[in-house]
Amino acid sequence: MNDSMSIPHLIMSASTVVQLVMLLLTVGSILSWVVIFQRTFVMRRARQAHQAFEERFWSGVDLNELYRETPAEQETQGAEHVFRSGFREFNRLLPKTRSPQAILDGVQRSMRVAWSREEERLSLHLVFLATVASASPYIGLFGTVWGIMGSFQALSMTQQATLATVAPWIAEALIATAMGLFAAIPAVIFYNRLSSESARLLGKYEDFAEEFHSILHRNLQGRAESGAA
Amino acid sequence: MARDDQRVGYGLPTVLAVALHLVVVLFSVISLPSREPEPTSSSIVQATLVSTETVTDQAQRAEAARSRALAREAEEQRQAEEAAREAEEAAAAVEAARQAEQEADTRAQEEARRAAEAAEAEAARRAEEAERQARQREEQEQARQAEAEAERQRQAEAEAERQRQAEAEAERQRQAEAEAERQRQAEAEAERQRQAEEEARRQREAEEQRRREEEAERQRQAEAEAERQRQAEEEARRQREAEEQRRREEEAERQRQAEEEASRQREAEEQRRREQEAARQREAEEAARRAAEAASQGLDRAIEGESDAVANARQGQEAANSFINLVRRAVEQAWVIPPNVPGGASAEVAVRLGPSGELFTASITRGSGDGAFDRSAIQAVEQAAPFAELRQLPANLQRDYRQFNLRFTPGDVR
Repeated sequence: MNDSMSIPHLIMSASTVVQLVMLLLTVGSILSWVVIFQRTFVMRRARQAHQAFEERFWSGVDLNELYRETPAEQETQGAEHVFRSGFREFNRLLPKTRSPQAILDGVQRSMRVAWSREEERLSLHLVFLATVASASPYIGLFGTVWGIMGSFQALSMTQQATLATVAPWIAEALIATAMGLFAAIPAVIFYNRLSSESARLLGKYEDFAEEFHSILHRNLQGRAESGAA
Repeated sequence: MARDDQRVGYGLPTVLAVALHLVVVLFSVISLPSREPEPTSSSIVQATLVSTETVTDQAQRAEAARSRALAREAEEQRQAEEAAREAEEAAAAVEAARQAEQEADTRAQEEARRAAEAAEAEAARRAEEAERQARQREEQEQARQAEAEAERQRQAEAEAERQRQAEAEAERQRQAEAEAERQRQAEAEAERQRQAEEEARRQREAEEQRRREEEAERQRQAEAEAERQRQAEEEARRQREAEEQRRREEEAERQRQAEEEASRQREAEEQRRREQEAARQREAEEAARRAAEAASQGLDRAIEGESDAVANARQGQEAANSFINLVRRAVEQAWVIPPNVPGGASAEVAVRLGPSGELFTASITRGSGDGAFDRSAIQAVEQAAPFAELRQLPANLQRDYRQFNLRFTPGDVR
C-alpha cells in the first residue's frame, strides 16, 4: 500500500498519455524556471546598469566624452543605448542640415528605435512564461481526465469495484493536475513580477530619452540664435 | 556594463531550474514515505480470552480432593488398627462378646458389601465428606483420647453410611450419635474403666463392624486400585461435570456438619476452615503428606495417577491455546468498532458454546458503559459464532472450553 501509493511508483505505472502529459509539464516547468531565473538576472543587471549610467550622465561630464568612452562597435543596452543612438544621429545630422527641427526629429526617431529594441530585449521570453502559466493547468487537467477515463475503463473490467482498485488510478491521474499547477503557479507569479519590472525600466528609459531630447533641443536653440546673430 | 549583459546567458538559470526541480522531487520522494506510516497504524482490536481457569483450577481441585481422600484412607487404616487393638482388649475382658462378635462379623460383612457398593457409586462425595471427617478426627486426636476419637469417627462413618443409604435415617442416627457422644463424654470424665459391658460390647461390635468395613474397603481398594487410577482422570472430569451438584452436596454436608459442630461446640473452627479455603488445602496437603508416610504403597501409586492426571490437564491446556487463538482471531475479524468510542473502553463478554461449537449465549459480564460498544462486541461474537474448531479439541477438554470470557478493548481506533 505504502509502496504502491508513492509518487514515483504512481508516475511509473501511469498510462502513456498521462506520462506524456507529465513529461510535457515537467519540461514546461523547467523551462519556465529557466526563464524566471534568466529574466530575474537580466532585470537586476539592467536596473544596476541604468542606475550607474544615470549617475554618470548627470555628473556634468561632457557628452562627447561620454559618447567616446565606449567603442562604437560594442553593443550597449538600456538608457546608454538610447543615449548613444540619439547622440550619434545628432552628430551625423548636425553638419548636414541647419534646421534644428529636422535634427531633433531625426534624433527622436533614432531614440524611439533604440527604446523599442530595449523593450523587445527586456520582455524577451516573458511571453513563454505567460503561455506556461495559462496553459499548464489545462494540460494537467487533460492528463487527469485521461487518467480517470482509463481508471473507469479498467474498473469496468473488474468484478468488484473496491476503493483499493480505483485509488491508484485516480491518484496517478491527479498527479497530472498537481504537476500542471506546480508549473503554472510560479509562472504566473513571476510573469507578473517580471513584466511590471520591465515596464518600469522602459518607463525610465523613456524619461531619459525625453530629458536627453530636451538637452539637445536647448543646445540647438542656443546654436541657432548664435548663428543668426 | 555592457559586458555584464553578455554574461547573463542561459547556463546558470538552467542549472538553477533543474536543481530546483530535483529538490522538489526529492522532497516528494523522501518526505511522503515518512509521513505515510503514521496513518498505517491500523485499528487493531484486542479480544482477549479472560478466564481459562476451568482446566487448571479444576485439576488442582481434583488433585486436592484426591489427596484428601487418600489422607482419609490412611487415617482410617491407622485408626482402625488402633480401634481393633482396643476392641481386642475389650474382647479379652468379655468372653461372651465373641458370639456378638460373630454376629457383628456377619453384620459387618453385609455392611462392608453395601459400603463397597455405595462407596464405588459415590466415591467423589465420600472423598469430600471423609476428608472433613479425617480432619475432625485429627483435631479430636489432639483433644481427646484415642478411643473416644475412634468411636466418634466410627459413629460418624456409620452415620454417613446411613445417611447415604437413606436420608430419613440420618436424623435419627445423628440423635443416636449425640447420645453416644454424651455417653462418651461421661465416660471420658469418669475414666474408661467405668465402661459398661453392653457399652463395651456395642463398642466392640461397632469396632468390628468398622474393622470389617475397613478391610472390605481395603480389599476393594486393592481390587479397584488399578480401576481407580484409571478413573482418576475420569474422576477429575466427573468432578468437573458434577461440580455444581457436588457444591450443593457440599453445602448440605456443611449444614449437617454445622449441626454436629453446634452440638460439639466447634463451630468456630469450622467457620475458620470454610473461610480459609487456601489454608484448608494446605492442611489437606499436610495430611496427605503425613498419610503418605504412614500409608501403604497403594498411596504412592495413587499419587502417580494423580500426577498423570495433572500432566494430562497441562497437555489439554496447550491444545486449547490454539483453539483460543482461533476464536480470538475470528472474533477480531468480525468486530466492527462503532465510531466515537471513548478511549480505554473495554467490555467483557461471557460466551457459552454448544457441543459442536455453535453459540448458545453471549452476554456482557462487564460493560464498558457505552451501549453501542457493548452491542458491537456481542455482535462480533455472534458473527464469528460457529466455532467448529471446538470439535478438534480432545474430548475431555471440549467441555471446559464451551464457556469462556472475551475481553474487548479497541486498539488504535482511527
